Amino acid sequence: MHSQKFGWLLLSPTILILGLFGIFPFIYVVWVSFHQWNPFAANPLMVFNWASNYRTLVFDKQFLASLGITIAFVFFAVVSELVLGYVLAQALMKDFPGKAFFRTIHTLPLIMAPIIVGSVWKLMTTPSIGIIPYLLRSWFGYDLNIGQSAAAAFTITVIMDVWHWTPLVTLSLIAALVSLPPDPFEQAQIDGAGKSQIFWHITLPLIRPALLATVFIRLMDALRTVDEVLMLTGGGPGSSTRYIGVHIFREVFPKTNYGYGSAISVVVLYLTIVVCWLLYVGLIAPRAKRG
Amino acid sequence: MNYALKASALALTLSLAAAASPAWADFWSDAGAKFKGVTLHGVTESTPPSNYIKNVLAPEFEKKTGIKVEIETTSWDQMYDKAIKDMEAKTGIYDMVYIEQDIIYSYLSRNFLVNITQTLKDQADLKAPTYDDANFTSFADYFKDKKGDLFGVPMEAFLKTYLYRKDLFDDPKIKEAFKKETSKDLKPATTHEDYTQIAEFFTKYGKDNGIELWGTTAQAHTGHAASWYEFFESIAPTFGVYNWGIDASNNYAATVEHGGAMNSDKAKAALKYWLHLRDIAPPESTQSTWTETATTFAAGRVAQGLIYGENAAWIASDPAQSKVVDKVGFALPPLEPGVLEDAKSGKGYIGYYDGGAFGLPITSKNKEAALLFLEFMGQNDVQPDWAIAAPRITNKATFDDPKVKAMDVKLGGFYTMLKDEGKLFAGAPPYPFHAQLREATLPIFFDILTGKIAPDEGLDQMAAKTEEELTSLGYRK
Repeated sequence: MHSQKFGWLLLSPTILILGLFGIFPFIYVVWVSFHQWNPFAANPLMVFNWASNYRTLVFDKQFLASLGITIAFVFFAVVSELVLGYVLAQALMKDFPGKAFFRTIHTLPLIMAPIIVGSVWKLMTTPSIGIIPYLLRSWFGYDLNIGQSAAAAFTITVIMDVWHWTPLVTLSLIAALVSLPPDPFEQAQIDGAGKSQIFWHITLPLIRPALLATVFIRLMDALRTVDEVLMLTGGGPGSSTRYIGVHIFREVFPKTNYGYGSAISVVVLYLTIVVCWLLYVGLIAPRAKRG
Repeated sequence: MNYALKASALALTLSLAAAASPAWADFWSDAGAKFKGVTLHGVTESTPPSNYIKNVLAPEFEKKTGIKVEIETTSWDQMYDKAIKDMEAKTGIYDMVYIEQDIIYSYLSRNFLVNITQTLKDQADLKAPTYDDANFTSFADYFKDKKGDLFGVPMEAFLKTYLYRKDLFDDPKIKEAFKKETSKDLKPATTHEDYTQIAEFFTKYGKDNGIELWGTTAQAHTGHAASWYEFFESIAPTFGVYNWGIDASNNYAATVEHGGAMNSDKAKAALKYWLHLRDIAPPESTQSTWTETATTFAAGRVAQGLIYGENAAWIASDPAQSKVVDKVGFALPPLEPGVLEDAKSGKGYIGYYDGGAFGLPITSKNKEAALLFLEFMGQNDVQPDWAIAAPRITNKATFDDPKVKAMDVKLGGFYTMLKDEGKLFAGAPPYPFHAQLREATLPIFFDILTGKIAPDEGLDQMAAKTEEELTSLGYRK
């Protein structure tokens, strides 16, 4: 009994911090989402409007369009990061000259603030001064202008995200790969299994928990991407890169439409939880049950 | 002996009085004495005038008063985000906030700011002898309420003007080629037709001669509010569409159907004119915001353009940043017939008078000390050096300073234009829903820029959306 009390005492700072910075803001956002509240409206006060904000967003073309392109963005970015991250992790498991240097360079984007990443990519993609349009024009005769082409802007935002976050996937997968037991691999080689068989039947199942954890982290991050894209394209051209995070930002900050912005945030949080839950149920839970 | 004693006593008294007199004569050290140890916090956009406050005026003020001033210079979005959140939540972090003249009406509608005129009347001991509201140029009117009380000390004011390359416009070969092609003399345009012709000529000239030169700038970012502003604040007024095409006196009507002008024939003509210019401008124009057009001009990539005056000084005089030093000419924007007459009679305006002030949030915990700093900033004698470091003038006396006059020559007469023609330009209309309306109509405007919607149809949609949004915000009944 005494030790239980002491345990709660030790936990109390964490509970307090979680309550203050996690639970309270969440409850507040949910509460605001049931109100009409724009401090710069003729009536700046909060007015309870039941589920009106949620009803509005079901028919809001802008929101639905944002959601659609966000799903596409998340799919392309996360899949690319996983594939590239795995390849790089495997490469970095081997010894080669300059490995330490490459590993450091490869990890550098991770420590850059998203706003800086957006600025750097903006510089690199500006038609008059950017290195990327210059090289594409010199090598392939292609004029890159992300201010004009929606497809180019979308592609560049995906590439920027892949550049920024692949190192995280690589580091996570290196950690998973180095902790794998050597026995199953040696056994498989003795039994004459090919590389692809080893990958699909041994490596992938063994690193699945780490892989899933990485996917969850990247999925949640990619769904709430704001600063990098805002800096690079502002959500344009048109609304072609107005991902859901950018959409919420524009509703909440410049437009100060706090009630509606909060409703969108709650829905996006719900969707994120659902997607992660589906992934968990589909890929981890059945194995755990069998195990 | 008695006489010597008296003389000594008198000398002692005089010397004590002399020693004490500077302290009594110096308003700043006296006024600052009771605020010693106070640190003021201000937030502003990172611009040359703001950096001057941070780097020069704040340390000078601290030296004179003992009051420390910390100015946070950040991006435009961040600055608003931080200031509004602070004032809304009443946290009182900031003692001074930058107020762009287009947001002041929103702040006033929420009673976010301290009435500077009234406070100085009520607390006469805070009034610096060297500060007077009356010293400011007419730009200060944008920071006053209906009674004429000031709510922000103007710290920057400039015109968005027509800049052209004197070296190109004066080149005999180019003049001859232009004459041959258009049968006109090459000179700064006064009409939209002339401007278009010059722009088309130089874009073709650049292409034909294999040089990186285009006919005009265009602040036409396809995902940033800067393009919206270029159209509504700089282009539309030159066609006679004022105040964004909204008639505030007519229940905020925006559509022609209800008495507005946002989708009028004039507005549609203005938009098509601007979109054509965008199409013959340098490729970076679709990613250009406030400063990028200036960078494009300074890089010598265009022959003419509409540029924010805050960039005038470095473009015209700083060889470290500009390739067109001493080659810059200033002129009034090209206009449709009747617009200049409208501006002269006060019915309209010919372009954008941009700028901002420092306001004092009512949530500040150091209002009196902050007020001292605002007065310090507003004095006549700190203005000339500030005007040279950044081409802003907010104080009438600044125009007559010899150093400023010398700089004016170097800048091709920018200050003279500000002084003489400033009255023809105007700031944003006094709407409390500025950002809200902009954000509501921006997606449609971007669709026009990307060609998803035709200009006429797009403006019809924007005007309808404006009325819908203003109804939803409760301004339109």
